[in-house]
Amino acid sequence: MKQAGSSNIFSLKSRLNRLKRDTNRWSVFTLAIVAFIALPIISIGVKLFAGPGETWGHLVDNLLVDYIGNSFFLVFFCSVLVLLFGVSSAWLVSRFEFPFRKQMEWLLILPLAIPSYIVAYAYAGIFDYGGSFELFLRFFNMEFIRIDMMNKYGLAFVLSISLFPYVYVSSRAFFLNQAGNLLEASTMLGIGEFRSFFKLILPLARPAIIAGLILVLMEVLNDYGAAQYFGVNTFTTGIFRAWFALEEPETAIYLSALLIAIVFVLILFEKWQRKNLQVASQIASKFSHRKEFKKPAQWLIFLIVLIPVSFGFFVPLAQLIYWAVLTAGNVFDLDFLMLSLQSFWIAFVTSVVTVILATLLIYFAKWSSINTVKSVSKLGILGYAIPGAVVAIGIMIPTLALDKWIIGIMNDYFGISTGLLINGSLVALVYAYAVRFLAVAYNPIESTGLKVSSSIPDSSRMLGVGNFRTFFRVEFPLIKTGILSAIILVFIDVMKELPLTLILKPFHINTLAVKAFEYASDEMVMEAAIPSLFIIFTAAIPVIFLNRLLIKD
Amino acid sequence: MKKILLGLTGLILMFSCKNSEEKQTDETDSKEVNVYTHRHYESDRQLFKQFEEETGIRVNVINASADELIQKMSMEGKQSPADVLITVDAGRLERAKSRDLLQPIESEVLENTIASHLKDAENHWFSLTKRARVIAYAKDRVNPEELSTYEDLASEKWKGKLLIRSSGNIYNQSLMASMIVNNGEEEAKKWAEAVVKNMARSPKGNDRDQVKAVVAGEGDLAIVNTYYIGKMLNSDDPEEVKAGEKVGLFFPNQEGRGTHINVSGAGVAKYAPNKANAIKFIEFLVSEEAQKIFAHSNYEYPVNDAVEPAPLLQEWGEFKEDTLNLSQLGQNNKKAVMLFDEAGWK
Repeated sequence: MKQAGSSNIFSLKSRLNRLKRDTNRWSVFTLAIVAFIALPIISIGVKLFAGPGETWGHLVDNLLVDYIGNSFFLVFFCSVLVLLFGVSSAWLVSRFEFPFRKQMEWLLILPLAIPSYIVAYAYAGIFDYGGSFELFLRFFNMEFIRIDMMNKYGLAFVLSISLFPYVYVSSRAFFLNQAGNLLEASTMLGIGEFRSFFKLILPLARPAIIAGLILVLMEVLNDYGAAQYFGVNTFTTGIFRAWFALEEPETAIYLSALLIAIVFVLILFEKWQRKNLQVASQIASKFSHRKEFKKPAQWLIFLIVLIPVSFGFFVPLAQLIYWAVLTAGNVFDLDFLMLSLQSFWIAFVTSVVTVILATLLIYFAKWSSINTVKSVSKLGILGYAIPGAVVAIGIMIPTLALDKWIIGIMNDYFGISTGLLINGSLVALVYAYAVRFLAVAYNPIESTGLKVSSSIPDSSRMLGVGNFRTFFRVEFPLIKTGILSAIILVFIDVMKELPLTLILKPFHINTLAVKAFEYASDEMVMEAAIPSLFIIFTAAIPVIFLNRLLIKD
Repeated sequence: MKKILLGLTGLILMFSCKNSEEKQTDETDSKEVNVYTHRHYESDRQLFKQFEEETGIRVNVINASADELIQKMSMEGKQSPADVLITVDAGRLERAKSRDLLQPIESEVLENTIASHLKDAENHWFSLTKRARVIAYAKDRVNPEELSTYEDLASEKWKGKLLIRSSGNIYNQSLMASMIVNNGEEEAKKWAEAVVKNMARSPKGNDRDQVKAVVAGEGDLAIVNTYYIGKMLNSDDPEEVKAGEKVGLFFPNQEGRGTHINVSGAGVAKYAPNKANAIKFIEFLVSEEAQKIFAHSNYEYPVNDAVEPAPLLQEWGEFKEDTLNLSQLGQNNKKAVMLFDEAGWK
């Protein structure tokens, strides 16, 4: 160190030496996973160098302002609504005792089980002419009142009410595990509960809350079905328009790049705000007891919590059930059961694969001693920001190249003509899902991982226990909840996923979301109700399981 | 962990192998036909099943939007398993043709059944069904004698009364393309601008929603495809039936070129591994028995003249259709979208 400044060459050499010393295999593995996940994104990125198509100017002149304006509007409004619904309900169920509290705990996650475009259809149906709301008003002769859901305010509402559980789940996990001793300490110091919540708990819960919020915002920016139906022009509808109506993939890729840039800013923001707050409470602590008010106050809390549950779950569910009853005869048959099983199976395999990838990525990056590698590992979650259709195309570029290479070799050396092996197979589909949903798995694992103070695994390693063994013996049991939550969240997302599945799914395989979309896109919204209900029920079971897990933890 | 990983890789490999085996057998016995389709109606599924029963040829279906299917086919190139591409508009078929994804086929059956404006001049694609884009008006507020042409929708008297969905919709794009071909670019743009000014609300929802908005009193006229009205009148939801009954249908431009129609159609993929089956399949779809099913369950107009439209469609009466060759719609589609944007049609 003494000589560090004396010669430039020497310092460069010492830097190189340091790099050599620090480059362990974990860095290499991390980069390999990031490359695997980023490959489709890079494939598309390379196309940026070709320049935008000729309609780019047309698009900038006529549409871009609208896209940016509406997307920012949605980001802002959804953030406010989602934080309001998500954080308040998480705090109420973790801190207070009230009737049906246990049921509310899992009911609050259930809105996630309904694809947001289905929620959009349901709400449009409710407030439509001849919809349930109007029939209700007719009863009182008040049908002159009309609520128009199909505009950007309605869209912000629909997206928020169906996505707030991401924030609810992440903030409740924090409140359940960390808030106990904090609140105890501050009340012992004579600070009121209300003030402690806003001054102490909320700031400390911020990383968890923001992590959930980022997921919500990525979903919001990515939404196609609901925005398109409500006639709101956003980046994603613009990407589809440029790609398909204007026939210019190059222009669509430029729009995607802009969208990715916005998401990148969001991620950096989250990183930055987390850096200010790298505190993990060393002792996880739960509330010793939940506060019990008198009965009327308890019922009031119940009613408050019931609001997001009703609007996010019961109301759209009721509309769907009504439609399902009307159309049951046309839709339901045995094929349906097969379809549900296929959906379930694909979603399950995908979620396990994705979670393994996410866990490996997080821990390899942790074990790598190069800081740049750690930052680069974050790139793995970018796929979530990219519209499903674009990811699908991104997957097809490298896998087709590989396929064609294999076909060439098999032909030249063995004289066998194989068809496309990877494309149109489940491998390509699962790969695409993994790219798209890695972020969904990454966040809960990482945030539970953060809570594990690094001194425990450090001391284990100091005793000469290897990284993997330490992971399984020490860290895995501590982050088990995070891992299982990740599996469930990915599972639900895959069950609901649409554009990517449409493009990449193999022959003979169908999913419930595809089935629902087939009906809805043919203006048979009512018929879409039954497959939607099946999605909801298959997704609801793991949600309830997830909740059990969080409580036991 | 490693064991789990290994197990999973094995599983996935098993899946992919299974897939490839299936594909190989496809090529050898060719008892299959692979269909990329944008149509996802119950009637189609029924027809595919019937075709399977009659010929023993298995129908494999990929359902997605035509845009995505075309993208998929062009990326798959020579290895594409697609035999038949079915879309719900001529524009996309024309695009597939211009991207060199379809091949000309020779079929006397198709030649004889389908009118020349309903197919590609070089036999790359053929129409399967027709839909007319018509005006649905509020029976209690609009006198149908006031209605005349699409061009007339731009007139001041309809200010604040027009309901039509977004310009992202292919049916509107095709209508606009027909305006461009018939009246020229400049007139078409002026027309779109005037229509935007006449709109009762910013475009949203689907065709059925426009009809419901007319019934709710938001506007007086909706531009919709005929078969959606048919479906509303036969809906499981009594409220939709009521809404459908409250509007009348008007076929525009009867004095002149005729009402704008769009079609759904099919073409044989350029690298179709099962070409003979593909042709057989399309021939089957225009046969009388298949056309009857199209006509009766989905309220579309048959392209086979030997088949009568559904009774409901017959009630609406015969109409004169615009015989503009449909490939021109495809060629002007992009222009149409750009003019929509410039006119501020969302």
